[in-house]
Amino acid sequence: MTDEGVAALLNSDAPFVVVEAPAGCGKTYQGACYALRAASKLSTGRVLILTHTHAACAAFAKSTRTVHRKVEIRTLDSLIVQIAAAYHKALDLPPDPAAWARRQGNEAYATLANQVGKLLASHPFVAAALAERFPVIIADEHQDASADQHSVLVALREAGARLRIFGDPMQGIYARGNEATSARARWEENKSAGVFAELQTPHRWRDGTPALGRWILEARAALKEGHPIDLTGSLPQGLTLINADNCASGRGYRLSNAERVPIDAVARNSSELLILTPQNDLTEALAALWNRSIPIWEGHTRPALDQLITAGEAADRNPVALANAFVEFMGSVATGFSPSSHGNRFVQEVSQNCSRTARGKPANIQKLARIILDEPDHNGVAKCLATLSDFRRDSAVGFEGIKIDYRSEYRDAIRLGNFADPHDGLAELGRRRSFAHPMPPARAISTIHKAKGLQCDNALILPCDGRFSQTLYSRCRLYVAISRAKRSLTLVLPRRNSSPLFLT
Amino acid sequence: MSDYVAAQQTETPRVLKLKIERFRGLQSLDWNPSCGMNIVLGGGDAGKTTILDAIALLFSPTNSIVLSEADYWQRKVEEGFVIQAVVELPASSEIGQQQKFAWPWEWNGSDAVPPISDEDDDVQGGSSSGKRVYRLQVQGTAELEINWEIVQPNDETDLLSAAVRRNIGIVRLSGDDRNDRDLRLVYGSALDRLLADKGLRARIGKRVSEIDLAAYLGDDAKTAMEKLDATLKAEALPSGLDLALTTSQGLSIGALIGLMADRDSGVSLPLASWGAGTRRMTALQIAAASEAESSITVIDEIERGLEPYRQRKLIKSLQAQGSQSFVTTHSAAAINAADDASLWYLDGAGHIGALPRAKVARQQERDPETFLARFAVIAEGPTEVGFLSSMLERAIDGSFADHGVRVCNGQGNPATLDLLEALTGGGLAFGGFADDEGHASGRWSALKTTMGDRLFQWTAGCTEEAIIKLVPKDRLAELIAHNDAGVAAERRITLATRLGTDDTSLEAIIQTTGDFRALLIAAATGSKDGATNNEVAKMWSRHGGRWFKSVTGGRELADKMFALGVWPTLRSDLLPFINAIRAALGQAEITDIAYDG
Repeated sequence: MTDEGVAALLNSDAPFVVVEAPAGCGKTYQGACYALRAASKLSTGRVLILTHTHAACAAFAKSTRTVHRKVEIRTLDSLIVQIAAAYHKALDLPPDPAAWARRQGNEAYATLANQVGKLLASHPFVAAALAERFPVIIADEHQDASADQHSVLVALREAGARLRIFGDPMQGIYARGNEATSARARWEENKSAGVFAELQTPHRWRDGTPALGRWILEARAALKEGHPIDLTGSLPQGLTLINADNCASGRGYRLSNAERVPIDAVARNSSELLILTPQNDLTEALAALWNRSIPIWEGHTRPALDQLITAGEAADRNPVALANAFVEFMGSVATGFSPSSHGNRFVQEVSQNCSRTARGKPANIQKLARIILDEPDHNGVAKCLATLSDFRRDSAVGFEGIKIDYRSEYRDAIRLGNFADPHDGLAELGRRRSFAHPMPPARAISTIHKAKGLQCDNALILPCDGRFSQTLYSRCRLYVAISRAKRSLTLVLPRRNSSPLFLT
Repeated sequence: MSDYVAAQQTETPRVLKLKIERFRGLQSLDWNPSCGMNIVLGGGDAGKTTILDAIALLFSPTNSIVLSEADYWQRKVEEGFVIQAVVELPASSEIGQQQKFAWPWEWNGSDAVPPISDEDDDVQGGSSSGKRVYRLQVQGTAELEINWEIVQPNDETDLLSAAVRRNIGIVRLSGDDRNDRDLRLVYGSALDRLLADKGLRARIGKRVSEIDLAAYLGDDAKTAMEKLDATLKAEALPSGLDLALTTSQGLSIGALIGLMADRDSGVSLPLASWGAGTRRMTALQIAAASEAESSITVIDEIERGLEPYRQRKLIKSLQAQGSQSFVTTHSAAAINAADDASLWYLDGAGHIGALPRAKVARQQERDPETFLARFAVIAEGPTEVGFLSSMLERAIDGSFADHGVRVCNGQGNPATLDLLEALTGGGLAFGGFADDEGHASGRWSALKTTMGDRLFQWTAGCTEEAIIKLVPKDRLAELIAHNDAGVAAERRITLATRLGTDDTSLEAIIQTTGDFRALLIAAATGSKDGATNNEVAKMWSRHGGRWFKSVTGGRELADKMFALGVWPTLRSDLLPFINAIRAALGQAEITDIAYDG
């Protein structure tokens, strides 16, 4: 369908419109334009744009700035948390479900979505009140919505809100296994429940490499059908294949000197580059590969920090337990502060009250341990991390080799020291982050998950190996990865452990 | 919007529950008014106007309200006051469009609750109605500040904007004679809502500012202006003076604009200068004509300035509007016209209770003052009314009527019982004074339990019997005596008739009867015992009227109770009742009643 056709459908009085939007086909543009038109027509109420990621919030905020008073943009989870907070008594939840959910982890958000979905279904007056405030609702990236999250939108639609959902079943990378299959089935149900349209014009590549854009759409069609991507014929302009095998003995990623030459060239010659990799631990390995000259894009999540807070709370002012949590955190965000290099000694010092006399590196570790002993809480941890930073800056004995991979997470952990309650602090930092809309640096290493919603002139995907399996989830993940690149896409294909998703 | 949702929504704002804490004369009030017209009755100073003021304050269209200590109960500013209402609101109120979202509550039939899930129906004591309500409140703080708030279902509060209050709209006709707010273009007034023209003030202001006021100055005034201009210039102050309309803070040009109407041929006068009744009726018409959904109407003393026919017209048109209204009145014509309204009675203790129309209707028609009194005693019949009035004249400090005590005729024993049950069911403080006719003793004793000393019932028989029984034997004949010799003669006839003798002299009667006291009781109560046929029975039953079966007769009976030395014996029975009335008026307990004789 043409862009004009999709726009006309969105503008229509149809209560429910479903738009399938492959990456780069102007989904955000269409959504934002519709939001602007709808907002200007509303006499009361606002247009509500619901996204799944903060990155998407940022993109919409930028393009709807002119009518920001009549457009509200937020994540679906934050809406659900807000409803749960207002009705926490009826739902038998603690007064601050946001803090509760952060403490409990991702499962808690699923629980909230389930309960709020039921509440709205059984009490249409709540949905009606919301539908009055938000007569038009645009749901972005709806393929990532769980069944419960979807039921919240259904309730709002039934209460009279006009619902427009955008999504791409081929970009559903939050559900795996059976869940991925049922998410796909839900998408098909939505298509038949509403009026369906599909965006088909690859805008992202218009001022990049149009041929690459067309090829990516073809690749999408193949992956959607369960076929491999055919790399045997002539390749489009902008697509480069490099053969290279990981020669690391255990975990990690290492290349022979000869094989890394063309890859280094890509990394060196691209002023704007996303280096995409399928797994978290590979990002650290890749950071090491380029000697940390290319930073890791941390996105909007802070998993190690969440874990640190949870463990710190469980420690309940027990210095030894806190020291262990500290070592765990350092292991996640940095290299060079391992149990064997520092951690064990650190925990030992804390458990022995720093009673041993020490010099050099052990003395420095002792200094850190004293901080924990003095303040066995998140403040102590924050001070400890700040002191460790100073040690690195001053190249203190034994702290020269420590490298921080996740700098934002490390910085946020220090900032938490400014808050009386670490959970409040976490919430506040999260809030600031969603207002600041941080974007990745020009060149960054990222997991595919964290790159979702981003675009970049050049993308380098490595390794395109067996990690990309035949599953629906893997096919989606590959499609998300390849569709980030506007000008050039480089795939690093191993000779061994190859992926079934490429026909070579 | 689907039909299902539309069916859930109200088109007019309604107060489903009102809670007042420590506002002016009301320490605490909890009231679920009805959706249509609510007529609040009660004696003076009970707080009827305070209820209306509270509603008006909660929905005040402006923030520019200055509190004083008198707005706080017993002037206890430090404890603050709260006026809270659970309301149903139409979408046009834009309650859901404030900066912070207002989350709806669910109405369980008596209060707002967080959404009820089907499983815990029993726990909550109510059932899921699906009715969407909001909890709004206005608080007076210890710092004499005033805050309008929305209470969210998680008990957090957010600001309730003046814009939303203005959209809800309240039409207020206060008792204040000078109030002509709704006839002016004041923010939130009925006229403002009717015109609904946001740019009007600005356009008028612009035109007015274009008028060259200086051109209208007299010669002397012009010279004075020029002199001032020169002086300012010499002093290096701003010069080049001119005159124009300038606004000062808090004064809107709208306040100066009011409705005009033709009085006589061609003479246009401000409507504000018409009579009070006309002004009030006009203001209501403006409100009713407004495009916006009808609002909540609050009228203090609806009869003010209106003849009975216009009161009836006003009440009928208000009832026809279908929107909620709160009305106070002292007018029997108004109450009688309000056949669809809910009647409420606010007693002296600040309790408000329903007057069930079916049960109070007869009393209302016969004696409207029953429900306009501060403390009403339902006495069984005319004898009791007279008897009690005479006693209260002696027992209450000052005139009891001036204190707002009304002794009402309950029209017989069964009707009195019905009425008292209806009133006490609403938790209201009424008094009762009745005979014991041996009927419905279970209901009477249940009533006695709830009413306590406020109910007096003779232990057996009626008032006449109770008194005559206790008159010393040698003074029984004095019961016959009356200032009017004719009445005394008629009484002797009733006695002689019953004895079947023609001689109506006292001596003959005493000689003939075996039991003079029983004969007196039979005649005074109109007893039919011993009548030979229906004709006779009919005649005998009318005998009571010759004795004490009237208000004046009741008074005479009370006087004789004191004069013939009966009082000391009845004192301990009657005093608790007397003291209950004194307590309602804030008077101290007494141990005896002073009397001559």
